[in-house]
Amino acid sequence: MHAPRSTESAEPSDEATGSFGQDDSGEAGSGTGGTSGPPAASAGWLRWGWRQLTSMRTALVLLCLLALGSVPGSVLPQQGSDPAAVQQYYASHHWLAPWLNRIGLFNVFASPWFAAIYLLLFASLVGCVVPRTFRLAGSARTPPPRAPRNLARLPHSASYASELSPEAAVDAAASVLGGQRFRLRRPASGDVGHDAGHWVSAEKGYLREVGNLIFHLSLLGVLIAIAIGGLFGYKADKLLVEGSTFADTTSALDEFHPGRLVAGSDLAPFSLTLDTFTATYLTSGQSAGQPESFSAKVTYAATPGGQQRTDNIEVNHPLSVDSVKVYLIGHGYAPVFRVTNAKGQVSYEQATPFIPANTGTLLSDGVIKAPDASLGFMGVFVPTAVMTNGTLESLFPAADNPAVSLIGYSGDLGMNSGVPQSVYQLDTTGMTKISGSPHLMYQGQTWKLPGSRGSITYVGTKQWVSLAVTYDPGQIPALVCGLLAIAGLLLSFFVRRRRMFVRAVPAASGAGSVVTVGGLTRSDASGGFEDEFASLSAELAGQDRPAPPNNQSETGA
Amino acid sequence: MAVNLGMAHVSSDFMIVALLVYSLAVLAFAGDYAFGRPRRATASAAAPEAERSTELAAVGAAVGAAVAAGSASAAEVPAGQAVTGGGSADGAAAGGTAQGVPSPRLGAFRSIWAAGPWVRGAVTLSTVGMLAHLVAVVSRGAAVHRAPWGNMYEFITALTCVAAIFFGYIVVRYRAWALGVFVMGAVVLALGLAETIIYTPAGPLVPALQSYWLSIHVTAMTLATGIFFVAAVLGLLYLVAERYRARIAAGKAQAGNGLLDRIPSAAALDKLTYRTAIFGFPIWTFGVIAGAIWADQAWGRYWGWDPVETWAFITWVIYAAYLHARATAGWRGARAHYIQLLGFASLITNMLVVQVFITGMHSYAGVN
Amino acid sequence: MFRARRRTVITAATVAAVLLAGALAVTLLTQGNGNASDSMIEYPAGHRPLAPDFTATSLTGTPIKFASYRGKTVVLNFWGSWCPPCRDEAPTLEAVAQQYAPKGVAFLGDDVADTPVNALVFDRGASISYPSVNDPGYAIVQDFSQVAPISDTPTTVVIDRTGHVAGMVLGAATYADLTTLLRDAAVTR
Repeated sequence: MHAPRSTESAEPSDEATGSFGQDDSGEAGSGTGGTSGPPAASAGWLRWGWRQLTSMRTALVLLCLLALGSVPGSVLPQQGSDPAAVQQYYASHHWLAPWLNRIGLFNVFASPWFAAIYLLLFASLVGCVVPRTFRLAGSARTPPPRAPRNLARLPHSASYASELSPEAAVDAAASVLGGQRFRLRRPASGDVGHDAGHWVSAEKGYLREVGNLIFHLSLLGVLIAIAIGGLFGYKADKLLVEGSTFADTTSALDEFHPGRLVAGSDLAPFSLTLDTFTATYLTSGQSAGQPESFSAKVTYAATPGGQQRTDNIEVNHPLSVDSVKVYLIGHGYAPVFRVTNAKGQVSYEQATPFIPANTGTLLSDGVIKAPDASLGFMGVFVPTAVMTNGTLESLFPAADNPAVSLIGYSGDLGMNSGVPQSVYQLDTTGMTKISGSPHLMYQGQTWKLPGSRGSITYVGTKQWVSLAVTYDPGQIPALVCGLLAIAGLLLSFFVRRRRMFVRAVPAASGAGSVVTVGGLTRSDASGGFEDEFASLSAELAGQDRPAPPNNQSETGA
Repeated sequence: MAVNLGMAHVSSDFMIVALLVYSLAVLAFAGDYAFGRPRRATASAAAPEAERSTELAAVGAAVGAAVAAGSASAAEVPAGQAVTGGGSADGAAAGGTAQGVPSPRLGAFRSIWAAGPWVRGAVTLSTVGMLAHLVAVVSRGAAVHRAPWGNMYEFITALTCVAAIFFGYIVVRYRAWALGVFVMGAVVLALGLAETIIYTPAGPLVPALQSYWLSIHVTAMTLATGIFFVAAVLGLLYLVAERYRARIAAGKAQAGNGLLDRIPSAAALDKLTYRTAIFGFPIWTFGVIAGAIWADQAWGRYWGWDPVETWAFITWVIYAAYLHARATAGWRGARAHYIQLLGFASLITNMLVVQVFITGMHSYAGVN
Repeated sequence: MFRARRRTVITAATVAAVLLAGALAVTLLTQGNGNASDSMIEYPAGHRPLAPDFTATSLTGTPIKFASYRGKTVVLNFWGSWCPPCRDEAPTLEAVAQQYAPKGVAFLGDDVADTPVNALVFDRGASISYPSVNDPGYAIVQDFSQVAPISDTPTTVVIDRTGHVAGMVLGAATYADLTTLLRDAAVTR
């Protein structure tokens, strides 16, 4: 992207190649970066610093830093995606974790130093792209350079004899090249000496630089799109039990991560009911127990009181409401319990979500809190229960033989103190364990607690799904920019900027002319120009129906 | 749909056949080194020429022409002339572009035939192996009723197939059979690894992978990885060739007819590696974008810095650094290649280490 | 060598400057804080948003129309029996309800993410005299969220006699919060 180096200008035919190089080189010395050393005045410092920033070497260093900086973000647990794992890391690395946190390694991609790297990189990018855009516009207006004197010294050259006069030969060549959509230049009336005579210059391949610029600008576009999403978008999670409804409002959501400029009233006012959730698993073969399909049948309304619609949310098939998408992320079981107090009155009846501890067998943990009966339970739900050596295990993730094993506690659950508690955790300080636990129950069974404390019945089993609700206005722009980036990339890789020169001089014998063709391409081009040159030369030669090509005459020269 | 066990067996069998045939091909390529026709005997004589030609190669000149200008008979040269000018290996026979109008290239297959029995055998064996490999991959797809790159084993077998086919293309386009030992050798190693340690029997996909995006995202990644695989092998070869060239230039080594004289010149390898890498880079970019689109469909966000996503990004950045380095003269030589190899190392880390050992949403390797 | 050192100093200074800019940008882009803390919001008379109307079923099954409360000041409390701060503030709400009942103030609960059984058990245990509507899906909360920034449970909203939202408490309500809101809600002009 940044400039070619001075080696190219050392080539013969400086004008032909020199301006080629000059088109794309930055300000003098930008590539090597301040060879003249730091200047005296402060404006000079700034200019020098800017040249440093936009130099290729800096871009390289920043790219490597960007890659290197991403590594800890993939190896260490990150706050944004797995806060529980971060906590675990703290627990197992008491000494190291706080220091890692201080340098932002638990939230790498939102840390200031990572931002500094990519901001610097984009500053360098913009600082390069903008001048190059101007230069491209300029070079698109300037005609190709004049044909060099001695075409044989170019990297690609050929010569042939022609029956036509020099002028006619060059005209024929010009029409061939023009037909190939080269931009042409012919000698002007003011040209003298070798610049007069019969020649044509042709140039093609400006799309390469266009592609290059589109690619780099698209990357900038992606960054801006990500920023838009981060400011105006939001992500939320909701756990929903079969039969339940939820309205898309901040209080209802389990997790809500709004962008900086998002207010609660910006949420799309839809509501959604989970009618049923169906999960199927492979029942036989090597991969028995592997999930086969997940399908959540939902009924939703886009506005309160609006028309009710039904849909199936599956993995890879999210639901789209307004411009918000609802995704099926996870699932689990919510066994239904009924708790009666010491007086036999029903104190609690609800489907209680249990969280899978083992994603393969769906053995799940959960907690039942019945504060008004002064009872709390924690335990394990097993969808297909089997006892192995006295341990309860799950054989299969479908609820073929559901069972729960509970440990009971009686006493004050601490829920009236006002301190918020997680619904999945039971605070047993201030409670006494009930004897006889853990107690195993199959569906429909009741456990009468000793000491006439009450009872708990395992009534039935429902399933729950966890849904992700996301809104990202920067999504489509990011996609568009990404696709543009690829288009630009392909253009810049596979289009070559190249020049062809044709000169004709009268033949020594007097009749016809000797035509020399020369070709030049950018040095870091992907190649293949040899073939194009060969075929173009052949076509030019063929136009004039010359004598057979004499490749032996100059061998060894 | 249930797995078609018959097809699964066909796939396994043909995969083993491909592995065996590839191994024989590698032996034949090695045999060409040991016993085949001398090549580049002219390289030693044209050593000073080689220096200038290296410079010209840097500006895209046809080195073959310059070297061939001083070579012996035209008939001998095209047969033995492996890639020297990176793209105009035909230049030797045609008189290159230095003089006269270039005549059409010598037929690729005639060149291979003329290169001697070892090369003939090696290329034939490689082709047979490639066909068997292709049958194995396709039948695996037929067995599982979906694109056959749904887990680590399938991914490796598919990408090695891509690498082998791409190498075949290079052999025909650039007469690069001298690279056979290295590229096909690496393919054999990778395939062997897949067959032994990473093997996963044919089976259906978990729901998260049941999407048409599998055909788009993973296909692109497979293609790109296969191509980067070849570029990495070529890059390693470049470093070897470059070191050898430097040693000859410094007088520390004698150019002769050994192994190192038979591999193409450093300049040619440099160009070829570059062209291969830039072929793979847009495909990798597309694969990352397709993955982002799929992630949005499946997980609700198009980028979440999941470990595999992050390492795909790291790989992309490193290859971008390689492309930038190559545009800077000071970095053009070995330094740029180190970056390219680092990029491939990052790719391999992503594939074999991150996907398997670091938990994230991307753990579909099927390997435990 | 001297040149090289100065070059390094300049580069380092530039990086530091951009780091600062980066930190600023990151702060701007970082996701907003969704937490609510105990705080009170009041709207002066004349600038009060209109409270949405709703019809719902009480915990005991009787229909309740919000429109029927027009003419009274209403304290609408969003709560759940599973929510410790809600359980904590309930006695305060009951006490204020008793105190202000003769002054034409009605208290109404909106029980969210709960079952009628669980909620009634709590109400009975805490001797709550005012009714609650059953709102397991947060539908009424959603309606109110469009006009007032309700973000968590518990939240208590005070609606004046004309049916406009006069103020709200985010988090558990204290006696002082409620009496202040009720005094200010009485001023409707």
